[in-house]
Amino acid sequence: MKHFVVLNDKSVMVDGVLMQLENQGMAMLNDVYRSKIGDYPKFFKMDALCKVGFVASELLLKAETDGEISQRKAHGTSSRAVLLFNRSGSLNADTKYQATIQEVDNFFPSPAIFVYTLPNIVTGEIAIRNLYYGETNFIVLESMDLHTMAEQIANAFQDNETESVLTGWVDCYDENHFEARMLIINRNENILNELNKITQ
Amino acid sequence: MEELILKLKQEIIEALNLEDVKPEDIDENASLFGEGLGLDSIDALELIVLMEKNYGIKLSDPNQGKEIFKSVAVMADYISKNRTK
Amino acid sequence: MVVKISDNIVSPLGLTSEENYSAVKAGQSRLSYYEGKWNLPEPFVASLIDRDKIQVDGHYTFFEQIVIKSASAAIAEAGIDSASPRVIFVLSTTKGNVYLLDKRITDFPDDRVLLGVTADVVAKHFGNPNKPVVVSNACISGVCAQIVAMRLLERGAYDYAVVIGADMQSPFIVSGFQSFKALSPEQCKPFDALRRGLNLGEAAATMVLGAKETEGCWKLVRGAIRNDANHISGPSRVGEGSYRALKYVLGDCSADDIAFVNAHGTATLYNDEMESIAVERAGLLDVPVNSLKGYFGHTMGAAGVLESILSMRAIDDNTILPTRGFENLGVTHNVKVSNTIGHTEKKSFIKLLSGFGGCNAALLFRKEELK
Repeated sequence: MKHFVVLNDKSVMVDGVLMQLENQGMAMLNDVYRSKIGDYPKFFKMDALCKVGFVASELLLKAETDGEISQRKAHGTSSRAVLLFNRSGSLNADTKYQATIQEVDNFFPSPAIFVYTLPNIVTGEIAIRNLYYGETNFIVLESMDLHTMAEQIANAFQDNETESVLTGWVDCYDENHFEARMLIINRNENILNELNKITQ
Repeated sequence: MEELILKLKQEIIEALNLEDVKPEDIDENASLFGEGLGLDSIDALELIVLMEKNYGIKLSDPNQGKEIFKSVAVMADYISKNRTK
Repeated sequence: MVVKISDNIVSPLGLTSEENYSAVKAGQSRLSYYEGKWNLPEPFVASLIDRDKIQVDGHYTFFEQIVIKSASAAIAEAGIDSASPRVIFVLSTTKGNVYLLDKRITDFPDDRVLLGVTADVVAKHFGNPNKPVVVSNACISGVCAQIVAMRLLERGAYDYAVVIGADMQSPFIVSGFQSFKALSPEQCKPFDALRRGLNLGEAAATMVLGAKETEGCWKLVRGAIRNDANHISGPSRVGEGSYRALKYVLGDCSADDIAFVNAHGTATLYNDEMESIAVERAGLLDVPVNSLKGYFGHTMGAAGVLESILSMRAIDDNTILPTRGFENLGVTHNVKVSNTIGHTEKKSFIKLLSGFGGCNAALLFRKEELK
């Protein structure tokens, strides 16, 4: 069975089923973390984009392994690529970082924010969590163009070791405007068909 | 010094996003890195920013951090002797 | 089979690949000490392009200007029609127009800071009808962009790819690395025992790649991207991702065929040490290793393209470029780094890079001989 996660600042859906949640925005994500994940304190150091991508990937992987998280991280693997797309890049973190250097008389550049001013960091967080040694990449597009995304995902399978790609759209303009549409695509599957499932 | 230690604990929790940690959970004599709170290299850099922002202390050599950030108590002691704010 | 048809480098050392190669071979660099520049409180060493040297007609940001200038030259030399739907633009950049976030800069619309938007502006300048692809994978973006292009060409999706790697420096980037205490107060010393960190740089470098089999051409043989799965900013202490990438691109090639490994060699304590471990694990300890960061500083999204182009020219010149700034080896494994010009008859090299997010990339290049 194929799993997919679609979430935004107002709702979270796993395999088309809406989660019952009280809050919105970051508070909602924190609630999902506490109730469904809960074993990863580094979560609270992540910037918003990473939290969005991390929560989406955790829900997806839990669905994939029927909740048996321990099975996921057995030895580490290079057979799964992580390839994510968005339009905003790392705009939210960029804006927050800029604020730490904007005023000459209040100039305190923050390394903890600066490290997140690269959109690929979210792929790194997912790789660390799951011991994915395989290919990780991040592509920024002007819009969520399924054709271009499908081309890039097909590309990923040209690496002989890649058997599956954890992929999707993970976008975050600010802490109240974000979305993630994520799924796993396996070698030889019809990529455009699979991508269509996360854009309904 | 007690007041400074408590204030410092709160500032550390906030600066390092230690979400589920309360000041009373931090032993001021326990090692901050390694076991203790398990802080990492980015946290160490943020503590350097915290020292400058809140206490006006600029570390000329970032490697001094290893000594100064041994524990909250050591940090508080260094701050009380060197603060300019 | 993917080949390089043409290339260009726009950097503080020149506006053509030839100028850049000559300057590097002569040991030159524009690395300078800046104090008070851009009102930054801390001084820094960087290699910056003279803004007046880049004149591009139209309302473009400086970033877009260097991209357009470099791509124009490479496209002209390649003689391809950039407006053809069989041509795809692939842009590698870490921060693009991030300088626009400064509230005092108001001469461009807000969305110009978005990488997809700026890439679109560039593609439209060249009349290209396809949506450009922006690879933003930290400092390995330049190699990733080449790999992305290679794969599109190998699958026949396009006939040509214009791969541009570029980044400009700004208070945003400089202050960020300063907050990481990652910058050296002097000219950087890759792999050296006394290395104290990196220098920053800016450049735009372009390769036009094609899918047609040709002789006497540079072939992009095999590329790989692998993650350390360890830490988001510190490299793996065992060089895991870097080693895996090297192993993959080597395939069944012998280390004897490799003229040199052009490393990332940023001159930070951890990166260079990590690369020495990865090189050793991959069985490449007898292969010369060099770093070009001493000529340009770290040019971020441009690095992978810039350094690959220079490495190709070096092999065409039977040369192994010296590692400027290196004196005495300061890493655990005995990697063969030198600050003098080397000679080689070999025709293959590997470009190696690492970046924030634990990512690493390697690309094997081979010059196909004329038959």
